[in-house]
Amino acid sequence: MPSIIVNGVEIEQDEDGFIQNPELWNEEVAKALAKQEGIEELTEEHWKVVNYLRNYYLQFQIAPMIRKLCKETGFSLKKIYELFPSGPAKGACKVAGLPKPTGCV
Amino acid sequence: MPEYKGLKIPARATDEEMRKIHIEPVPDEQKVDKAIQYLDEIRKKFRSFVLAMESCVKCGACAENCHTYLGTRDPNNIPTMRAELMRKIYRRYFTPEGRWFGKLVGAQDLDLDTIMQWYSYFYQCNECRRCGHVCPFGIDTCEVTMIGRQILHWLGIVPKLHASVGASMERTGNHTGLTKAAIVDTLEFLSEEIRDEFGVEVTFPVDKEGADILYVPSSADFLLNPYTLMGAGMFFTYIGANWTISSHMTEAGNFGLLFDQQHTMRHLFTRLLHTAQQLGVKKIVWGECGHGWRAWKMYLKGMADLPLRWEITHIHNEVAYYIETNQLKLDPYKIGRPVTLHDPCNYVRACNLAETLRKVIRACVADFREMYPNREDNFCCGGGSAILFDDPEMYQLRIKFSAKKAEQVRATGVGKDGNGILCAPCSICKAQLYPMVEEHELGVEVKGLIDLVGMALVWR
Repeated sequence: MPSIIVNGVEIEQDEDGFIQNPELWNEEVAKALAKQEGIEELTEEHWKVVNYLRNYYLQFQIAPMIRKLCKETGFSLKKIYELFPSGPAKGACKVAGLPKPTGCV
Repeated sequence: MPEYKGLKIPARATDEEMRKIHIEPVPDEQKVDKAIQYLDEIRKKFRSFVLAMESCVKCGACAENCHTYLGTRDPNNIPTMRAELMRKIYRRYFTPEGRWFGKLVGAQDLDLDTIMQWYSYFYQCNECRRCGHVCPFGIDTCEVTMIGRQILHWLGIVPKLHASVGASMERTGNHTGLTKAAIVDTLEFLSEEIRDEFGVEVTFPVDKEGADILYVPSSADFLLNPYTLMGAGMFFTYIGANWTISSHMTEAGNFGLLFDQQHTMRHLFTRLLHTAQQLGVKKIVWGECGHGWRAWKMYLKGMADLPLRWEITHIHNEVAYYIETNQLKLDPYKIGRPVTLHDPCNYVRACNLAETLRKVIRACVADFREMYPNREDNFCCGGGSAILFDDPEMYQLRIKFSAKKAEQVRATGVGKDGNGILCAPCSICKAQLYPMVEEHELGVEVKGLIDLVGMALVWR
């Protein structure tokens, strides 16, 4: 099982890089996950998306509808792809420490 | 990247994940014996399977009719050759000539490598049944894939994607793991969206006891397909229905059909019937989901162990009825874009929906262009049976599987000016085609059919 070590804590990931235990997520983990996604630095715009996803997940235990993510952050889907090249689910949700989405997605 | 001796395989569920769906993985050294035992049990039960094992004459009609073979040119993706992976084992253990003459008659001992070949190729089959449709003997090769996947499931070999959906179905009653809070939040958001875009008030009742109609949407609609939910909400509001969505059973799909047609499939059937009884609804209307509609329409009756007291229809049938009886006013000029229709395999080759889809789409759009071939001859989108794996190697396969579809869409010309619509009224088709229309640069946007109904409605 792949893993990353952040501040001495080993965090397990699945084959696609999603962290296995969402409770271990923190901002340092987000930065490390972003690096794996090829995002060298998380800008204010990245954080806006990550924080929105994180808060939504803590409240509802799932990612928001993509349309809602766009509306609430004010970013178009194209912009989100620019920020997170693997897209909202496989990129942004991963950095925000959400579990991998399942089903017909 | 998952790999087994050069075979392309999707990431596998771990033993722990298999236990969550009630399977104790069979140790490697026992897998061969167990697989033969399961195969023996199955052949005694399913004549369709025996027909596929005994009757094929290798005429080859299926080869050029399979989009996975056309896209990959891998001989094991020729439907009869894919079935041969099972047939040579069947022949070895269950026919006299195979027992006596072995390799001379194309029989082969089962070993672990062959089991992993099953895993690779039965999960490269989209279960679209186009091969069965063209077979002069009427052999439904899809049945072989389904039985191959069933045996693999019992052995403990299931893709992570399918197993995690199975676990989610049991935990939440839907594939994506929606909680009630998320369902309510998303539907409230869509009410606002409808108000902003269409200027009408639509509310989505959740868990409303005493409703007449239970609408069962695909859970993927809550993440990816806003217009499908909006369209359904607008349709029910327009006809003045007393309807509801259940947070306990928010899933039009049934992944049981795709990897475990026993326990997993039955679990969701039972869940639906319990929900319908509890809410006291009179009728159940199904949302846009191809494999799911096949499971419910064709398998529910035979598998439910409770009496069925409800009429179960598909929302496309409902809309078509309201169009036929002039109770729905649709303006086909509101959507001023060229539209083509992708026929979901399960709708047209299993559920007789081809003409219904056309009745609805012609009422919704003025510039409708058929792709060819169409209706029951249509090619699969390449995502069928949830081959929606996204690790790089499997993703490349999805691009190859959708090459035929891309060619069909391109030939309609709807994407020539970059403003076309590809109507694909099924959640798996949508999930596959959203990225694939970009990969193949088709100049179209993917939409469901109820999406178009909602957009074309003329409010009084």
